[in-house]
Amino acid sequence: MSGIPTPHLSRRALLLASAATAIAAPPAAEAQTPRPGGTMVMIVNPEPATLATYAVSAGNIPPITTQIYEGLLTYDWDLKPQPLLAKSWTVSADGKTITFKLQEGVTFHNGAAFTSADVAYSFMEIAKKVNPNGPVILRELEAVETPDAMTAVFKLANPAPYLMMSLSSNNIPIICKSVFEGTVPMQNPSANRPIGTGPFKFAAWERGQFVRLDKNDKYWKPGLPLLNRIIARFIPDAATRSAALETGEAHYAAYSAVNAADIKRMQANPILDSTTRGYGTTAATSVLEFNMRRPHLAKKEVRQAICYAIDRQFIVDNILYGFGKPAVGPLSSVFSTSGWFTADVRRFDVANRLEIANKLLDDAGYPRGANGVRFGLHLEINSFGEQWLRQGEYLKQALAQIGINLTLRSEDTATWLRRCYTDYDFDINEPFYSAGADPVIGVHRHYVSSAIRQGTTFVNNKDYRSPVVDKLMDDATRELDPKKRADLYHAAQKQMVEDSPGAWLAEVQYVTIFNKKLHDHTMGPLGTYEAFSRAWLER
Amino acid sequence: MRRWRYFGYRLAFALPVVFGILVLNFFLIQLAPGDAASVLAGESGAASPEYTAMLREKFGLDRPLLEQFWAYIGNALQFNLGYSFRNDSPVFELILARLGPTLLLMLTAFGAALTLGTALGVLAAVARNSWRDALISVVTLICYATPVFWLGLMLIVVFSVNLNWLPTSGFENIAEGYEGWERWVDIGRHLIMPGTALGLFYLALYTRVMRASMLEQTGMDYVTTARAKGQTERKIVFGHMLRNAFLPVLTMAGVQAGNLIGGSVVVETVFGWPGLGTLAFNALQSRDLNLLLGIFFISASLVVIINLVVELLTITLDPRIQA
Repeated sequence: MSGIPTPHLSRRALLLASAATAIAAPPAAEAQTPRPGGTMVMIVNPEPATLATYAVSAGNIPPITTQIYEGLLTYDWDLKPQPLLAKSWTVSADGKTITFKLQEGVTFHNGAAFTSADVAYSFMEIAKKVNPNGPVILRELEAVETPDAMTAVFKLANPAPYLMMSLSSNNIPIICKSVFEGTVPMQNPSANRPIGTGPFKFAAWERGQFVRLDKNDKYWKPGLPLLNRIIARFIPDAATRSAALETGEAHYAAYSAVNAADIKRMQANPILDSTTRGYGTTAATSVLEFNMRRPHLAKKEVRQAICYAIDRQFIVDNILYGFGKPAVGPLSSVFSTSGWFTADVRRFDVANRLEIANKLLDDAGYPRGANGVRFGLHLEINSFGEQWLRQGEYLKQALAQIGINLTLRSEDTATWLRRCYTDYDFDINEPFYSAGADPVIGVHRHYVSSAIRQGTTFVNNKDYRSPVVDKLMDDATRELDPKKRADLYHAAQKQMVEDSPGAWLAEVQYVTIFNKKLHDHTMGPLGTYEAFSRAWLER
Repeated sequence: MRRWRYFGYRLAFALPVVFGILVLNFFLIQLAPGDAASVLAGESGAASPEYTAMLREKFGLDRPLLEQFWAYIGNALQFNLGYSFRNDSPVFELILARLGPTLLLMLTAFGAALTLGTALGVLAAVARNSWRDALISVVTLICYATPVFWLGLMLIVVFSVNLNWLPTSGFENIAEGYEGWERWVDIGRHLIMPGTALGLFYLALYTRVMRASMLEQTGMDYVTTARAKGQTERKIVFGHMLRNAFLPVLTMAGVQAGNLIGGSVVVETVFGWPGLGTLAFNALQSRDLNLLLGIFFISASLVVIINLVVELLTITLDPRIQA
């Protein structure tokens, strides 16, 4: 992704011509002819509170709303932008103007024609104002010009290379201007009865039970979608969700809908299959955050010692049941394809790591007391599920090896968030980061000093202030040349690992469990954040 | 006539109770740290401070507490339960959608447990110390001691996963799109397991209370009198003792009727049943105060109403009580 115009028309033609199975076949899909019809049942967990995906970016909303709303772009397996509502685009040499040619003959589910006015409204009035990611992704976007109905020109204040990575259906959905004009976006009647251009139309939401989506007969891609109906079911209990897949009542479950402990059993079930593909834009990493306002953790030696004390492979094998790999730094190895990632940083996975850790603590002036304890710290347990408590239990043992007595504290989500992001009344926190498709989207805000914002969740709560890192990240935000941008990120990673404002534990590998009768569901890196327009059911 | 006056007197008492519950709930909830805006922003992951501030303003969380309180009371007195910003939906609609399935599940489980429990209690008492009594006692003890979630999961494993007789979870099968009579049969099939899991607990309870109560009546003078004048055992049990022995069960059922409305978080969670219990639980977790207060208000009102009905029934069964 750079300043060079890309020949998208031909690529698009290629994409349509080749039966998509060839590109993205899940294991069992080969040599079968897609059949239209049928109702697919997927499990979404937990039930979303709202379907206003343009204003709330919780991860359980897009599996439903990306069937309904479409974005300008989608992405191929190499994370290269591909056409969706924009059929082609050119980026000016200075990176400050992006011209999108829009798809013709597209209508919204309410019958309104899709034009550049909808694009301009979706970006300037909705995404920039009420989308939680808007202020980051669209910071440089100054205006969207609409010279004609099928052209939208984005005017940027500064180059924003990450912008092209943030235009999928789940990032910035295109809404219908006439539905929203003159209303409060979040209280718009279409918040929970979405109106989009996608392959499925919203039909019903029975709270506590399901969302029903019906086929959009007027969908702009000819012959699609294949399914007649999609039911998104909500089952609060993990064991029951697994049972629903085992009995064939549900066909598909992505992310952590199935407990890691159950996955091996599911994989052995003859009617079920699994895939780890379709999580290419998630880059999920479990981390520790150190509160550097606290006297012990203000010392670099202490932070590094904690990093050395943790056996990341143990976490992967025993907490994640093998679904993941050890993390080495603030960027996920998912960014290897783009070149941003480097493993050439201070490594904590060395053989004599405990020796080093103990020495660091001795040098920092914290000798072991009579009972072998140097000092005590609190760990705030992540409230989003059972596995975090188990990770906390392991960390307590790991830190005991270097004489740090860790006390675990479990609270409910609201209390936990308040303690760690508003009151800053914590020592160590164990959250979970999703980087998104570009580091600017989900990495910067955890480390740059401008993101120390009390009361905002999942930003720099560590009080980490490094002028070096601030500068590197700021430059990387605007750098268009991929090589130079990679160098900036490599330097930033080195510096951050050296400073260790946090500990990077494991890159989580999600698993999708699906019924073997369901085909062509995982067609790109977006996975369940993309419409099931080609999915079909064997009957 | 006197009965109705008594009833009106109780009703007049009930109103301040409901109001008191409203006030207490409002301030109690404020004690929980964190607010809806931060939870919503937390779930969004990347929310900017502007976004969180916008949410607070929209939810009215930036206003002084007393102002929020008066606004809430004002609305509640007009039976306006407010708007759940988290769910982008009026509170009343959210509650109404769950009320049907909750009542269906609870009334089925409760009704079956009450009838069957009374019958088993009578049976055990009549055949005291026989093998039937022992069997009933053992079974009820097991039912009483089994955790409901474990029982629910075992039912799913046996009847859904292994035997494939019943659906694992949910209220109905949407994928098939049943209509009319077929739809009700389908809902009935979905109701069997959660109803059983929930009902067995109450069944055990009522059986034991009924048995004890029947035994207590056995030694009463009126039973001896009835027997002395040559009444058949059947007539003594059903004509005389049952009505008297049922009073403690009714009192207990009245107290537990509150659960009817509150639903059962455990059973609803295990079976994916769309009940009020999980709605309230999620509302608490996400600090959706409008919704939570709405549920409290509806539950409190219904409990008060049910208690009035139970009282009316008690008076009918035992006219001595009114005074």
